[in-house]
Amino acid sequence: MQLRRWLSGLFIVSYLCCLTWGVTAHSLKYGLQGNTLSYFVVWDMFCGWQAFDNRTHIIAEGRSGQYYDVRPPWGEFTPFGNVPRVHYDVSNNLIPKHITNVLSHTTHEPIARVYVVQEIWAKQYNVPEPLWAKYFDEPRDKTSYFNVRAVLSERGAVLNSYPDWFDQQTLIAVSDNPRLQLAAQRAVPFYNTFIKPSQGAESASRTFQSTQSSELNSN
Amino acid sequence: MTTNVSGIRRLFTPIRDFFFEEQAPYGMALVRIFLPISIMIPMVRRFMHVRELFSSDGAPQPLYELFGQVNPLPPMAPQIAAALYGMLMIAMFCAVVGWKTRWSFLIATPLYIYFNLLDSVGTMTKYSVIASHVLIMLTLSNCGAVWSVDAILRRKELGAAATAVPPRFPIWQSRLIQLLFSFVYFGAAITKIQTEAFFSGEQMRYWMLSNWNYSNPIGEQMAMWTPVLLLAGYVTVVWEIVFAFLVWRPTSRLFVLAVGVMFHIMTCLTLGLYIFPLVCTSSYLAFITEKDIVALRRFAHKLKIPSSVLGIPPRVVAWIVDQRPAAIPAATLWLSAVVLAAVAAAEIEYRSDAYGIQANNGPLPLPTMDAATAESMIRDQKPLRERDKYFSFDVGTVLMGNQLANRRSEFTYGERIVAQCTLNIPHGDLWVECMIQDDQNRTVEHAGQFVTRDMLHANFAYETGNSLVPGTYSMVLKSSNKEVFRREFTLSGDPEKVPTMNEMMTN
Repeated sequence: MQLRRWLSGLFIVSYLCCLTWGVTAHSLKYGLQGNTLSYFVVWDMFCGWQAFDNRTHIIAEGRSGQYYDVRPPWGEFTPFGNVPRVHYDVSNNLIPKHITNVLSHTTHEPIARVYVVQEIWAKQYNVPEPLWAKYFDEPRDKTSYFNVRAVLSERGAVLNSYPDWFDQQTLIAVSDNPRLQLAAQRAVPFYNTFIKPSQGAESASRTFQSTQSSELNSN
Repeated sequence: MTTNVSGIRRLFTPIRDFFFEEQAPYGMALVRIFLPISIMIPMVRRFMHVRELFSSDGAPQPLYELFGQVNPLPPMAPQIAAALYGMLMIAMFCAVVGWKTRWSFLIATPLYIYFNLLDSVGTMTKYSVIASHVLIMLTLSNCGAVWSVDAILRRKELGAAATAVPPRFPIWQSRLIQLLFSFVYFGAAITKIQTEAFFSGEQMRYWMLSNWNYSNPIGEQMAMWTPVLLLAGYVTVVWEIVFAFLVWRPTSRLFVLAVGVMFHIMTCLTLGLYIFPLVCTSSYLAFITEKDIVALRRFAHKLKIPSSVLGIPPRVVAWIVDQRPAAIPAATLWLSAVVLAAVAAAEIEYRSDAYGIQANNGPLPLPTMDAATAESMIRDQKPLRERDKYFSFDVGTVLMGNQLANRRSEFTYGERIVAQCTLNIPHGDLWVECMIQDDQNRTVEHAGQFVTRDMLHANFAYETGNSLVPGTYSMVLKSSNKEVFRREFTLSGDPEKVPTMNEMMTN
C-alpha cells in the first residue's frame, strides 16, 4: 500500500514536471525543435492564420505530354470537413508519399515529372453569397494565384523546389526597395580561401608568400 | 527535530489531501463513458481508410518524421493495421460499458496514441493529444468501479455480501486531469499573447473564414464584425489565464466551468470545431465530485428525469456476459470478443477494396487533366491584384480598438466620418489614397498615407464641416493610383448649424 502511494507520488511529480516543461519551453521557444514528445505538452492551438487561403494541386506530366491529376481515383479522405487530407500538409512532408501512393495504385503511362502547385486566393471570397451581398458593394471577382512549389520525379524525389507563395510575396516587397537592392548588390557573398582560422594566424601570410614565390601574382 | 518533522508533514498535508483524498470515482466513470464515445467518432470514420492512412501500403505521415526523428512506431502491413484498429474499437466500446475496464484501456490507450502518431496530417490534432493524456489517467484510475459491467458482475458475485456503499479510491487521477486543463488553457493563452494581430481580431476573422474545419455559418457572420472578435479575444485570454486559479475555489468553480463549456460551444459554432469541444467537455466531467453526484441525483429525482436509462447499456452487456456457460470465465469471453473484432476488422478491410483494384480487375486509371488548365496553373505568373491586397473598405463613425465598430451610409453635419481599409498580409508597402467625390465625380477632398507591409488596416478621418452641401457623395479608395473601392454616402442636415470652418482645414 505504501509502495503504491510512493509510486503514485512519483508519477504525479513526473507528470507535473512534464506539463511545466511544455508550457515553459513553449513560452521561451526553447528546446522544442526535434523533439516529437514536445507535441504532447505544448498547447499552441491558436498559432496564427493567414489572410489568403491555399490548396495544393499535384499535376503529373506523362512522357507523351498528357497531364494527369494526381488525385486518388478511389476517393479522397476528408479528415475534418470537406477539404481532402493532402491540403492539410503544411510542411509538405506528405506530398512525396501521396504521389508515390497514388501513382503506384493507378494505371498510367510513364511519368516524366510531377508538379506541386499552390493555389492561393484572398479569404474574403470564402464569405457566403448573402454575406457578400450585405457587406461588399463590389462584384464577387475571385481570382486564384498559382505557384509551383516543387517539381518531383515519378517516385516522389524532389528535382526542383521554389519558394512558398507567401515567402515570395515578402521577398517581392523587400526587393522592391532600391536602397536594399543596392546594399545587396554591394555585399556580394564570398568564401575566403586564404584565411583559415583552423590553421592559425600565420596561414594567411603563408598563402600570400607562396603566391609571391611562385610568381603567379597578377599584380 | 521532532518539531521540524511534524512541521514538514504539516506543510505536505494539504498536498497529500489534494491528491490522495478518497472518493467514489463517479467523475472518472463519467469521463470513461463520454470521452471514448467522443474520440471514436472521428476514428470510426477512418476505419475504411486504415490502409491509406495507417498502413505500409498507404501514405501515412508519422509525427516523428515531422520532427526529424526516426520513427520508432513504423506503420504495419494493412491486415495487421486493420486488426489492431478493430481491437482499438472493441476495447473503446468495452471501456465505455466498463467491461474489463482496466484491460480495455490497456489496449485502447496505446493503440489510440499509436494510430494518431502515424497520421500527423489528418488524424493527430491537439484534441487527440488531450484525449491521450486523459486516456492514460483513465487507464491508471478505478473508473470501472462504478456504473459499469464490472461493478454489476462484482455485485452479483458477492451476492448478499454486496453493499450499497460505492467503493472509494484516491482521486489523484482526476486531479491530474483537472491540472492538465489548467496547463492547457494557460499554454493556449501564452500562444495567443505571442500571436501577432490576435488582439485586433484580424487573426480570428481569418480563422473563421477558413474552411479547414466543419461548417461554421455563425462564425462567418461574426467574421464581419472585428470589434466583437477583439472583445472575444480579450475575454478568452483572461478566462484561460484565470481558469487555473479559480477552478479550485468552491465559490467560483461552477462559474469557471460553465464559462468553459460556453467557450467550447462557441468554438463549435464560430470555428466549426466539432470533436475538440466534445473531448474537452467530456473531460470536464473529471471535476465532478461525490457531493455533486448526490446533488445531481436529488435534482434528477425532483424533475423526474429517468437517469437510470444511462445504466441500460452496461446492464445489457452484463446480462449477455452472464448467459455464458459456467465453464467459460468472463475474461475468456472478453478476450474472444477482442480477437473476433481483430479478425473481423482485417476481413472487412480486405473486402472493402480500398484502392478499387478487385472491383476493377486491376488498378484504376489515373485521372487525366486538360492541358490548357494544367499549363495555366504551372506557368501562372500573375502579380497580386490591387483588389486582393485589401480585405474590405468601410465607412462609419465609431472606432473601437482602432477597428471600425459601425458601418453607415448616412451622415449629418458635425459628425466625424471614418473610412477604414483592412489589408490582407502579405502586401508590399503601399501609397493609399482616400477621396470624397460628389455626385458628378468631382474630387472634393483628397488624402493619402503610406501603408507599410506590416499594417493590417489604415484609417482616414473627415470632419463633416459646412464646406460640403447636403447630397450624395462617394468615398473612394485608390491604391497604386487604381480605384479599388467606392462607397456611396449621403450627407443631410443644415450646414449652418456647425461653425464655419477655416478654409485651410479639412472637412
